Amino acid sequence: MSEPRIVVDHLWKRFRRGERQDSLRDLVPALFRRLTPGRKEPELGANDFWAIRDVGFEVQEGEALGIIGPNGAGKSTMLKLLNRILRPTSGTIRLHGKVSALIEVAAGFHPDLTGRENIFLQGAIIGMRRAEIARKLDSIIDFAGVERFIDTPVKRYSTGMSARLGFAVAAHLDPDILLIDEVLSVGDMAFQEKCIARMKQFKASGVSIIFVSHNMQAVSDLCDHALSLRSTVQHYGSAQDVIQSYVTAMGSEGGTLGHPDVNIGPVVLRNAEGRDVTTATSGERLQLEVTYTARRDLTGVHFGLLLHRTTDGLLVYDANFTDKELGIRQWRSGEPVTIRFDLTATVTRGQYHFDTHVAETGTGVLLARRNPAMLLRVDELRTWAGIANLAVTASARTTERVASAVRV
Amino acid sequence: MASNQVRIIGGTEGRSALTELRELVGELVASRDLLSQLTIRDIKLRYKQAVMGFGWALLMPILVVSAGSIVRLAISSTAGHGLGLQSLAGVTIKSLPWAFFVGSVSFATASLTGNTSLVSKIYFPREVLPLSCVLAQAVDTLVGGVVVAIAVPFMGARLTWALLWIPVIALLIFMFTAASCLFLSCANLFFRDVKYLVQVLLMFGIFFTPIFYEPGMLGARAYLVMLNPIAPLVEGARLVLMNGHNLLEPLTPGTSGTDVWSPWYLGYSAAWAICGLVGGTLIFHRVQYLFAEYL
Repeated sequence: MSEPRIVVDHLWKRFRRGERQDSLRDLVPALFRRLTPGRKEPELGANDFWAIRDVGFEVQEGEALGIIGPNGAGKSTMLKLLNRILRPTSGTIRLHGKVSALIEVAAGFHPDLTGRENIFLQGAIIGMRRAEIARKLDSIIDFAGVERFIDTPVKRYSTGMSARLGFAVAAHLDPDILLIDEVLSVGDMAFQEKCIARMKQFKASGVSIIFVSHNMQAVSDLCDHALSLRSTVQHYGSAQDVIQSYVTAMGSEGGTLGHPDVNIGPVVLRNAEGRDVTTATSGERLQLEVTYTARRDLTGVHFGLLLHRTTDGLLVYDANFTDKELGIRQWRSGEPVTIRFDLTATVTRGQYHFDTHVAETGTGVLLARRNPAMLLRVDELRTWAGIANLAVTASARTTERVASAVRV
Repeated sequence: MASNQVRIIGGTEGRSALTELRELVGELVASRDLLSQLTIRDIKLRYKQAVMGFGWALLMPILVVSAGSIVRLAISSTAGHGLGLQSLAGVTIKSLPWAFFVGSVSFATASLTGNTSLVSKIYFPREVLPLSCVLAQAVDTLVGGVVVAIAVPFMGARLTWALLWIPVIALLIFMFTAASCLFLSCANLFFRDVKYLVQVLLMFGIFFTPIFYEPGMLGARAYLVMLNPIAPLVEGARLVLMNGHNLLEPLTPGTSGTDVWSPWYLGYSAAWAICGLVGGTLIFHRVQYLFAEYL
């Protein structure tokens, strides 16, 4: 394999918390303070913090890397470092080829200029030649779908329209490396699909992509690898694995109770042959076994089982099973109960996780919760998107003539 | 060509100023289309919804000339002789470069802070923001220049070989203005009160620049006003146009009225323009990585 397009090596970025002196009036006393001896600032002052700590990764030609992480994890800082807007405190980034960014696609627009004038302006700002823009003008206008308003000032455009125009300009870039930051949050569904399709097209033509997003579904759709960031690299590997571990980590923070009355675990997922699995094909029969241990005597409780789609948090399934119907009469403190949930994975391709809890039936008070309790990846080749596996089989009734034509 | 290009971010400390200047010039050449687009934007916006249209280009010089006429009238009344057309022509000539400098600096000072979303989100050589203000103002000045060029021959300007100095002076004024704009735009980004300071300086600057008066009127203290780097340039322009004076030859009071001149004045301004532009761009280039953090 040739040298990677992007090499990030031991990257550190320090930021300062709080107010800076940003007027001359404040500067003079600040200078005096600095001149007084014995008040020198250390390497990482009390008000400094590391936004990026020792981050390293590589991206090959035609590869897409997703960067995920909670708010304030340094994702945007990382993009700004890659885009030369910020300079690293230490460490290096090597970029091979022309870098373009799909960040704030309409930032260069001026409200008083027309759509056409803004195309030339924004194009120049993101690094296109005038002649290149002129050549691609029709295609840009067509992509944005604003033909009728192209000579109208952009201030009369709706938010969606100007975002579409901005993306259309950016979509006609010819980069080697593309940095993308949450551009998908603008525009309607149809336009978002158009954006994703364009990004996949970029990737297929060998462009290396770095994609920052909170939309796990989009990351897993577009990216081969992912990096979960929290100032430092938490996980770095295949997109599926990283998203999985990221969601697991998120869940363990907010998904359990402080002092549960029931201990949940161990949890086992088996396929029809009785083997432990985390991956299943769509429509496969599975067995989820969860052991619950009471910490005090309990009656009148129910056990909840939920399934979430990990990538976007969609609740796929939610059901409760009471102790009565499970035949549990007297659940004494310290006694384990193992419940076997037999189920069919009638969901489409994607990343899912189970979530289970125990609650008092009458009051609904939550006694214990474990989320994620178990991860499940469903592989399937037929469906493209969607949630439920409808177990569709397709057949055609045709005349002999049509059938033969199809064969050709 | 693009695929062979390797860019390394970080770990670039300790490079020579020359390497940096070369890199910077390369970047600016590469972004000439952006510079022209931003200039066109500034010009279009200035004239698009303005009732006066290109009259804007003349407004500032006309105001300077009117104010200058009053001042000259006062001076000549005190001195006891009439207001000559010659002195009005002098004010007219000097009003143009002054209007150019004031216009450029006041627009450029806020050029970085006024484009926050661009500067903090998108990468492009940030120099183009203040420079496009200077270029847009230069277009205005050209319009004014045409009017002045038509007017001054009727007011006593002479067509001589000395006029060849005009492009040199224009270039030096452009360089000095660009240098000031680069420096002030980034200063204003770090210290937001710079723009107020600039406002005050520009307002009183006309008294420290020989626009309404000639340095010769200060007698032996003429050199004081010539310490202002713009002063020799505007005064030089007047001497060239009105007296057909070759700027390489000195003038002392007595030889030709009250006019004073020394070639060193021009050298002094040229040094300011060249050092200022090199220094201004270097400072700008070195601190531009901090722009996004401070905005």
